[in-house]
Amino acid sequence: MIRKTLAAAALSLMMSVSAQAACGFQNTVPLKSLTAAFEAWKAVTSAMAECGNVQPELDQTFRTKQPAAFAANPSLYHIGGVANGTLTPLVNAGTIRPLDDLIAKYGQNLSPNQLIKVDGKTVAVAMMVNAQHLVVREDILKELGIATPTTYDEVLAAADKIKASGKVQYPLGATFKAGWDLAQDFNNMFVGFGGTFIKPDNTPGMNSEAGVKALEMMKKLSAYMDPEFLVSESTFVQKQLQQGKIAMANLWASRLGALDDPKESQHVGKFGVAAAPKAMPGGPSSSTLWWDGIVIAKNISDAEAEAAFRVAMEGIDEEMVKANNGLAVWLIKGYTPNKMAQGAIETARGGAPNYASTTAMGLFHSAVGEKIADFMAGRKDAKATLAEMETSYLVKAKEQGLVK
Amino acid sequence: MATTRTLAHPLWLKLTSNGFLMLWLVAAIFPLLWITLMSFRAPVDALSAHPLDVIFGKTTFDHYKAVWVTHGFWRNFLNSLMITAGVVTISLTVGTLAGYALARANSNLAFWLLIMALVFRALPHSVLVTGYLPPFLNSRELLAPLWESGLTGWLFRLFSDMPPTLYGQPWAIILVLVAINQPFTIWMMRSFFMNIPTELDEAARVDGCTHFGAFWRVIMPVMWPGVITTGLFSFLLAYNDYLVTALLLDAQSQTMVPAISQFLNRDTRASDQIEAIAAAVSITAPLFLLVMVFQRQIVSGLTAGAVKG
Amino acid sequence: MKGRTFALFVAPSLAMMLIFIALPLASVFWQSFHETRAVVTRTEVESCTPGFLAPTCTRETRTVPRIGADGRPVTETVFVGLDVYRRVLQTDAVAKALGAGGGGLSAILGIDFWKALRFTLTFTLITLPLVIGLGLLIALAVNNLVKALRGPAIFITLLPFIITPVIGALSIRWLFLGDGILTRAIEWVLARDISMFAQGWTIEIMMLIYKVWHVAPFAFVVFYAALQTVDQDTLESAIVDGASRLERLRYVVIPHLMPLIVFVALIHLMDSYRVFDEIVGFSAQAHVLSLQYLTYSFLTPDETGNRAVARAAASSMLTMIGIVILLVPLLMRTWRTHRSARRG
Repeated sequence: MIRKTLAAAALSLMMSVSAQAACGFQNTVPLKSLTAAFEAWKAVTSAMAECGNVQPELDQTFRTKQPAAFAANPSLYHIGGVANGTLTPLVNAGTIRPLDDLIAKYGQNLSPNQLIKVDGKTVAVAMMVNAQHLVVREDILKELGIATPTTYDEVLAAADKIKASGKVQYPLGATFKAGWDLAQDFNNMFVGFGGTFIKPDNTPGMNSEAGVKALEMMKKLSAYMDPEFLVSESTFVQKQLQQGKIAMANLWASRLGALDDPKESQHVGKFGVAAAPKAMPGGPSSSTLWWDGIVIAKNISDAEAEAAFRVAMEGIDEEMVKANNGLAVWLIKGYTPNKMAQGAIETARGGAPNYASTTAMGLFHSAVGEKIADFMAGRKDAKATLAEMETSYLVKAKEQGLVK
Repeated sequence: MATTRTLAHPLWLKLTSNGFLMLWLVAAIFPLLWITLMSFRAPVDALSAHPLDVIFGKTTFDHYKAVWVTHGFWRNFLNSLMITAGVVTISLTVGTLAGYALARANSNLAFWLLIMALVFRALPHSVLVTGYLPPFLNSRELLAPLWESGLTGWLFRLFSDMPPTLYGQPWAIILVLVAINQPFTIWMMRSFFMNIPTELDEAARVDGCTHFGAFWRVIMPVMWPGVITTGLFSFLLAYNDYLVTALLLDAQSQTMVPAISQFLNRDTRASDQIEAIAAAVSITAPLFLLVMVFQRQIVSGLTAGAVKG
Repeated sequence: MKGRTFALFVAPSLAMMLIFIALPLASVFWQSFHETRAVVTRTEVESCTPGFLAPTCTRETRTVPRIGADGRPVTETVFVGLDVYRRVLQTDAVAKALGAGGGGLSAILGIDFWKALRFTLTFTLITLPLVIGLGLLIALAVNNLVKALRGPAIFITLLPFIITPVIGALSIRWLFLGDGILTRAIEWVLARDISMFAQGWTIEIMMLIYKVWHVAPFAFVVFYAALQTVDQDTLESAIVDGASRLERLRYVVIPHLMPLIVFVALIHLMDSYRVFDEIVGFSAQAHVLSLQYLTYSFLTPDETGNRAVARAAASSMLTMIGIVILLVPLLMRTWRTHRSARRG
């Protein structure tokens, strides 16, 4: 044991020469993780990998793979990266384990704010919060004498001016990729217009005035975007901003680090952030608040779970945050919010709600994602699209026993 | 052979014919050539608005290094290799036997077997995958009785202590792909065998061979062109499959083709896109070699067999 | 060949087809009439999520799946008759569309299943003649080529055929996406800005082009092989009779190729009815759906991790019925040949 500790200490001494934080112990259990692939996860998983024997897998489509992979016995992965939405299927299927024991043993550095609890049991440990909010090219707005928009009507007016000036190819960008991304933008706008996602009897609320207004606003915004917006996911928007093709976008806080990265971006230092615009006066900021965090599989041995949790804790420790401060709005000790973090903080202050980790919300999101492209591509009108979303939701909800 | 005089072509025909062919050949190779070029360029050049940047940009092997070393694409390559080899071997063995029997039998039963195979050939694969998915995910419970029963338990326990989860098992996928490939293989092999005169096996039988002996010693030696052609088609099916492997294999046992979607999906930087392209070129390279080696056999195999059948 | 020997030779192949094709087919058939539902209960749940300063905890009544003794959610499977089919075909919506002021055909073609059926059929039927025509032209052109150049020409021609479909589609997509080289070329010719991925019809055209590019070489190689066996005596006697080039092609070469044209058409019919990889490669699902893609999308877990297995099964069965209908004329023909062969 002593020898092992010594070896680990020696190793950590050697490693500390490198810029990255080194792992505090030598992991001997082979572990696998499945997470999303954005920059914050790249930082966390590479910090975990430093403990040895960790095989991280980063995949933006982890969402569709995770439930089956964790349901297998033994589970195909030990550590999973989840967010509000992706936690739901795992909790429903009972494939992740309660973490309270492990937290008591190894989680001294966690703050209560990081613990995701369902029914009193901690099921996940959050590492960062995330939200979609406004990113603008401050230099262009200043030059044209436009104040940073606070409502969507102002966004449209500003887009008009920017278009007239010809400074960029398209004034606006948005994560309008057909499917999950586009549906998420609908959710944001729906919140902004005061919509209720799920009614108390588990029926959906999209087929309402707020739904129509949200769709119409999205249509208006799309007129100022690259016409290929239906393939535009976060990376696409990020590149558009980096290459100076657009001047404003509603983008995830976790993508902002890359905008000021000189290796990637042609316009370092020219970006500013603000709260997600409001859709109506007096309403909330049109966005939902997300967290990203770590879960541990249930169908693995306790020894593996213990090693996995320790490795995960190393991944989300203070050293990692200090080395990667700008990549996300971290919930971890040692984080100092920078200018870019203000966007997410202002959005929360503006009244944007948490995205609910419930089955009903998941179905709502799926149903919207399936049908919304028809409206955006101009194949159906708002009323018909919303009615179809409602039907699609009810079909699924019936299959899952949520509604009769 | 025809006399050159009568079949000689007038100049205009030659020009149109060759001109058309040139156009087609350019169209056939251009997309592949272009992505190959892109894969060797730095993101700035590869994605540049100017085609000349792509053509004359600085050559770099970084993307290949990233794909094969950093992201461990060699693991997917080995998976592909194993699955393809398994499918081709089993598929040909099983299919050749059946094809031979079907070519030599003229019963109603044989006919209906062939028709069944034809309908199976036409089935969209998603239909089958719909059927596989639930039992593959829950196979441990479904197979448990086989392991627990006194009759068969000892036999199965020789292989593993517990029933396997079929989801993510390469050998399970090999069997699935072989089965999917069987209809085409037996039709193809049958038409090759139809071209081999029955007298040949009859002569062997007279010499005292069993049916299998005749098949093995007399028929197989003249069957190699057919086997190679059919084998190539099996190879393509197994190597190129996306749907079955994407749904039934997990990331660790994934073959190259579905694995490429990971590269596309991890796309958060410009260089990620070029890495996806480099991965695509890597997948294509073995196919390229395959055609180079077997081109003659494909044409002569088709001339000799399937074409007449 | 005696029955027993026949059975021995066929057994391994038959067993595999029965286990991995017929059995799943039967199970899909069964599943399409049944539905598996999670058993849920309504309970009060306290949950906490991180906020910016302090966690926000809420107590609310939620509908949650009941977890059984084995730690898995409890499910129940019930027979639902044709319900699932009705849901896939969306018979209500179709009836509404056919009613007064319902929008008629265009409204029906907006419903997923019918949209997929429309695309699958047009895709199959449009590419069919193009593939055969182009394949034949290339075969004739290569056949006219000097011997020494035939090898390289065949090699290059085969490339689009052997390339992995998803990758072939991707490589064509990369040429068009955003400011891809071909998009710029078209923009230069037309002198206007175009976006190939902004609307459905341009994507469909790209997919058609891709499919023809991909399959024509297969038609080529079959036709080319057959051209090597055209009976030279017939050709020469046709020349003696004074038949023109076109007449020789029409009356000697094409009839010789006819069985193969049918063969290629048949294979192409089956393959393009399965159109799927193209949609993945072109990320076309926002605009275009195919039958096989529809099943795939039902099978992909949604945001709650649930797979719509029953609907996937129903759409599978409908897809299968479609292909059997397309194959019927051919099956009849084969049956007649078989009968006459047995009699003769």
